[in-house]
Amino acid sequence: MPSAISTERISKHFGANRALDQIDFDVAFGEVHALVGENGAGKSTLIRILSGVHQPDAGRILVEGKEQRFAGPHDAIAAGIVTIPQELRLVPALSIAENIALGDLPVRRFGPMALIDRGRLREQGRAVLAQLDFVPDVDCPVSRLSFAERQLVAIGRALHRECRIFILDEPTAALEQHEIERLFSVLKRMRAQGTAIIYISHELDEVVEVADRCTVLRDGRVVASARRGSFAVADLISAMTGRVQDPGGSAPRALGPTLLHMQRGNDQPVSVHAGEMIGLAGLLGSGTEAIMRGLFGVLRPDAGISVGGEPRTLRGPADAIASGIGFSPGERALGLVLNQSVRDNILLASLDQVTRNFVVDRQAGDRIAAELIDLLDIRPRRPELPVRALSGGNQQKVLLAKWLARRVRLLLLEEPTQGIDVGAKAQIHALIRDFVTRGGGALIASSDLAELARLCDAVLAVRQGAITARLDRTAGLDDATLRTAIGA
Amino acid sequence: MKHTSTLAAWRGRLAGQIPLISLIALCILTALLTPRFLSPLNLTNILVQSSIMAVIAIGMTFVIVGGGFDLSVGSTAALAGCVASMVMLQTGITAGVVAGIMAGGAVGLVNGLVIAFLDVNPFITTLGTMVLVRGVVFLITGGAPVSGEYGLPGAFVAFGSERFLGIHLLVWVPALLLAILSFVMYATPYGRRVYATGGGREAAYLSGIPVRRVIASTYVWCGALAGLAGVMLAARLQSGQPTAGEFYELTAIAAVVLGGASLHGGEGSLYKSVIGVFIMIVLGNALNLLNVDSYWQRVAVGIVIVAAAAAERLRSRS
Ligand SMILES: Nc1ncnc2c1ncn2[C@@H]1O[C@H](COP(=O)(O)OP(=O)(O)OP(=O)(O)O)[C@@H](O)[C@H]1O
Ligand SMILES: [Mg+2]
Repeated sequence: MPSAISTERISKHFGANRALDQIDFDVAFGEVHALVGENGAGKSTLIRILSGVHQPDAGRILVEGKEQRFAGPHDAIAAGIVTIPQELRLVPALSIAENIALGDLPVRRFGPMALIDRGRLREQGRAVLAQLDFVPDVDCPVSRLSFAERQLVAIGRALHRECRIFILDEPTAALEQHEIERLFSVLKRMRAQGTAIIYISHELDEVVEVADRCTVLRDGRVVASARRGSFAVADLISAMTGRVQDPGGSAPRALGPTLLHMQRGNDQPVSVHAGEMIGLAGLLGSGTEAIMRGLFGVLRPDAGISVGGEPRTLRGPADAIASGIGFSPGERALGLVLNQSVRDNILLASLDQVTRNFVVDRQAGDRIAAELIDLLDIRPRRPELPVRALSGGNQQKVLLAKWLARRVRLLLLEEPTQGIDVGAKAQIHALIRDFVTRGGGALIASSDLAELARLCDAVLAVRQGAITARLDRTAGLDDATLRTAIGA
Repeated sequence: MKHTSTLAAWRGRLAGQIPLISLIALCILTALLTPRFLSPLNLTNILVQSSIMAVIAIGMTFVIVGGGFDLSVGSTAALAGCVASMVMLQTGITAGVVAGIMAGGAVGLVNGLVIAFLDVNPFITTLGTMVLVRGVVFLITGGAPVSGEYGLPGAFVAFGSERFLGIHLLVWVPALLLAILSFVMYATPYGRRVYATGGGREAAYLSGIPVRRVIASTYVWCGALAGLAGVMLAARLQSGQPTAGEFYELTAIAAVVLGGASLHGGEGSLYKSVIGVFIMIVLGNALNLLNVDSYWQRVAVGIVIVAAAAAERLRSRS
């Protein structure tokens, strides 16, 4: 029996940059084939070729043994390939239900006229999301959802379509354990029904759990491929990076003065000292996002905030930044000007700092950008490249570089390692640790509880908009206790 | 590897100069078809015609790079020309010129405040002010040209025809503006903020950029420059004409887009917008010299605009 889909010697260049080099890849019906690799290894590029977004420079795509040329995404969809891309494409103004059914809206016919069948539309939306244990108001416009919720809607939309080949590019980046488990049970059921599944993730534990086969890409080439049982997390990491992972411990730090303090009603206070990393954990919709945005002046905070010991009213991000606070949102597109260069994005918040006599000092700016590109190992090392051309993980690093350039004292980070490969994740953790050791403070909201447990000195648990508990490292911190605290 | 990389770099560089290449090609083609194109008189004519439109297009580029749109520039130019003429007849040339530019800036400020702070759509806002301002022009002039009993002051009228170093004073205006404002756009933090705001408003906001103020400011630039263009036009026409500047907004927007700016914001350059103005003016001039019927001229210009925009999209997609 031929593979569901396979590639033969696929290559792809972007200008002089080689993203894929003669890739042979295939997935069978009823199989989950995982694709892993460092940021920029070429995973998303391969997926974009399989889903008709990009055309390969060389090589062939075979669907069920027959060669196919995809002129655009519609051709791939017609061939039964459904993709959840890394950068979600939903229509913000339309409702959840409409987004899910987009492309084949249920209609009722009255002679020559066709009207949308609202009732069925809602039902379909609810049914599909129920599989993921997600029960929103399906009439709510997608623009009002959080990034994680939108990720669920995107998954729902893909599930709604009849598909023979299902491709997921980092679908779990912002999801909680519980939703991930639901997604896996859906994937396992689809596999049992004979769907071919390609699954990309940086969470190697997930990969080991769900994949029948795993292929490792490095610098646009296949460097390893193995079947279930013959790969373990450590093997994958060394194949991905070409080196053995060092675990990276955390040295005890001296705490400095309070950088930030917020007290709301009867809540646990939020307080971050210099030298401290505080976590913010909560389930989907629990309100961690509102807390972060309140602290950055985006939303009017309903509580007294003091920065560096003095009460402050933050009227907007500009105020927050002026008091030394930086915020990197969980959704990358909100933090980056995608069409502008890496350099310009890094300097976006520091224009005044690199201005001499009313003129932006290009050399100073170039120097700062180059330093940070080195420090964060942003690849490719080309400050003039538009951020859009960077892989997801590298975009995430640019977001962090922006605030390091501005030399803020307090970082508010939402999902700071979302979409980042294991090697780079350790790098980013080390960078944040380094930042606080040198007198900074960090408040980190993450859906990855294990990450919070490993990284933070204390974690605040958020339930239904209220900060209900503070769990200190000294009292023992692991993802199981965190899960209980947030009510998962 | 080396080979492909230099090739790709060259292709990128060439692609960035498509407006200039098209302009040169257009000039060569026209010169081959009719010798009259290269006559000094005709070339001067093109320069002078382009100068007023270039001033408007420079202002329009601010707005479009900032992610907006301005339909009111033609009416604003007419208002400025009439206001300048009226004030000039009362008090003097300098006061008249300043009043004209300020009138333009005031229209821009209204546009900017409504669009940036009330979040009204720029298309509909400036469509409204376009009609409104034209109405005001007719109200204050009674619909008649403003030139006083003895005409506008001689020194002002001379500005519309005098030369400096052999080049019309009118042409020096956009040349100087281009030099100064390009510097503002590229080298000052303000300019970078305009690009960032147009390219990603949310990201700019979360980076501490006062996006509303930046957006409003682009409309003030656009209005003030439309005002200046109106004053230049009054000097050229030796009067404030209430009907002046009709359809200027369309030509200016087309020129900016021909120059490669994105209507989504965040992309564009003043210099390329001016090239776009030249393309529009040379095209009209060529069709005239070739005695193309004026109805067909419109068809041709329309085709060029749509084709250029489509070519741009195709290029950026690949
Ligand atoms: N549109 C583009 N233009 C130029 N270069 C690109 C473009 N898209 C991708 N690249 C480059 O191709 C390489 C592979 O990128 P890709 O997005 O496939 O990586 P990835 O494996 O998905 O990484 P991540 O885990 O960070 O998402 C990178 O070097 C990237 O910079
Ligand atoms: Mg990717």
